[in-house]
Amino acid sequence: MNNHLSEDQITEWVLGTNEEVILRHIEICPVCSAEAEELRLSLSSFRHAIHATAERDQSFWRSQQLAFRERVSAREWYPLHWAWVVVMVVILITAIFLTRTPNAPRNYPSDDADNALLQAVQGDLGRGVPQALAPAVLIAEERNEILRNHVRATRTTSEKER
Amino acid sequence: MVQNEQAVALLPLQEKVGLGMTALDDFTPLVESHQQRIYRVLLGMVRDPDAAQTLTQECFLRAFQKRASFRGEASVGVWLLKIAVNLARDHRRSRLSEFWHRLTSSSEKVAELEQRLPDPRASQERVLLEREEVAGVWAAVEKLPTQQRAVFVLRFVEEMSLEEIAEATSLKLGTVKTHLFRAVHAIRQHCKGGKV
Repeated sequence: MNNHLSEDQITEWVLGTNEEVILRHIEICPVCSAEAEELRLSLSSFRHAIHATAERDQSFWRSQQLAFRERVSAREWYPLHWAWVVVMVVILITAIFLTRTPNAPRNYPSDDADNALLQAVQGDLGRGVPQALAPAVLIAEERNEILRNHVRATRTTSEKER
Repeated sequence: MVQNEQAVALLPLQEKVGLGMTALDDFTPLVESHQQRIYRVLLGMVRDPDAAQTLTQECFLRAFQKRASFRGEASVGVWLLKIAVNLARDHRRSRLSEFWHRLTSSSEKVAELEQRLPDPRASQERVLLEREEVAGVWAAVEKLPTQQRAVFVLRFVEEMSLEEIAEATSLKLGTVKTHLFRAVHAIRQHCKGGKV
């Protein structure tokens, strides 16, 4: 049977327990006492090591304070810095907009040209025959004229014979 | 005049806020009086003097920026520690910092931490033994989850009360006790394992 303190009980002792059983056992048991004391010393050495490392000379702490002040100052300038950037961007855009060459003017048709076009359209619409069929109309009229002359000549000949 | 300045510097921060006296110059005495403690806690949590230095500056910078939100429910020291613990937690979460930490953890900087011992007059054997113990505890602390590490450092490095630790870490008292117990237990296991 193991009469020594458990791991948890030794941890509790290091953390400062008030449990009478643990406190009394540590007093009377050299094995547990040595074990608990070893853990306590390890933690104490760790504490001393960190404290010793953090013991820096005055110049270190002064440089820390200076660095802090510089960073605060830099942060305070941030809004102004961004305002300055925005102003510069606006100026740049305005400058680009103002100096941009205007587009070449388009050649819009004049009023005369409009009128001429309208007259041409009206002329086309007023025509009885589309312009494309005009030669065919001429041929038809010529043919009709030949037929009329032929009929007239035939009629004259028959009257003479009579 | 000098007495007046000292009196102003000793005024609680919440009173300074009320008086509109939280300019940079008014904040400097606060930095002077707390920077070493904040640096120690951060050093214990991140195990890197350079990172602890940067985070200490960041801690005061955040405190300065959020000075108006300080209500005085806790002491200024506990309020600063709360900021520091949060910064250390974020630092550890950062994958990039984790990468650099791994890369440099075997460097001289960390080795230097283990060499720092309280009593240079101790015997050679005792010095070696203590170095071994410190290295063991450092290695074990590094493996602890962030909350446990914070609680452990605040208790065993800063010797704060459990109530103060609960305030600084925003944890319940019972949770602080549990974290502390687990942290010490893990460190003991680690140190014992190293000796076997």
